[in-house]
Amino acid sequence: MNDLFLFQVASLALLAIGLVGLTLRRSFIAILISVELLLNGAGLSIVAASKLTGADDVLGQLSALLIMGLAAAEATLVLAIILVVLRRFGHVDSTKTTLLRG
Amino acid sequence: MKYLELTAYGFYLLLIVGGGVLAISSRTLIRALVGLITALFGVAGMYFLLNAPFVALMQLLIYVGAVTVLIFFAIMLTRPPAGAEECEPRPKSAWIIPVLTGIAPALLLGVMCLTSFTQTVEKPVLNTARELGQGLLGPYALAFELISVVLFVAMGGAVILGFKRRESR
Repeated sequence: MNDLFLFQVASLALLAIGLVGLTLRRSFIAILISVELLLNGAGLSIVAASKLTGADDVLGQLSALLIMGLAAAEATLVLAIILVVLRRFGHVDSTKTTLLRG
Repeated sequence: MKYLELTAYGFYLLLIVGGGVLAISSRTLIRALVGLITALFGVAGMYFLLNAPFVALMQLLIYVGAVTVLIFFAIMLTRPPAGAEECEPRPKSAWIIPVLTGIAPALLLGVMCLTSFTQTVEKPVLNTARELGQGLLGPYALAFELISVVLFVAMGGAVILGFKRRESR
């Protein structure tokens, strides 16, 4: 049980919680929150792996920054999609949003 | 890790797990957002513990500062009458399959981490922001430019998605 495994446990907890939320919740916003948790777990895992092994530290930290940028872009797009879905359907429930062309 | 570090680690892990469980289990979306913020603070603490203060501060700035505000806007613009909150209670059996879905890959990857990854650095060394900046402008300049293009396209796409409906009226 080394330090690397402890940090990986934290990121695996984020992965598990994010996946549970992704499959359990029905509101698009709650799904977005779960995806943010998943992306955080990925970033933490990459930084821990690069800091505690012989890999390049700078590369790991820049990868985490890249993931943060991707998460910001994804959150922006999902916000716009949620607004479009809300205007078109009147709700943001993923189980009731079944129409593709309308 | 020594005792003090282990204490800090346990506290941050508690923040992450508690915040995450609150984020996925609370029926009110605002409470879910508060849980997400708690979990994000825990991850920032983990970055500090890993001796990566720049990434930790960026985590606080970008996630806690920007992304949660964005999600808050999403919640605010889709208020309860529109069904943004899950009103009806779920049966207990609805939890079984999602929990299995989450636990199974985590267990598999956890066994892999335990058996095949070895730690070679005893204490993580501190990188200055100067080294990170030189990495961004030197060997990883292409990734830096690409992420700015991705952000630009995402913002442009969001604006176009927002306008389209108004034109068609």
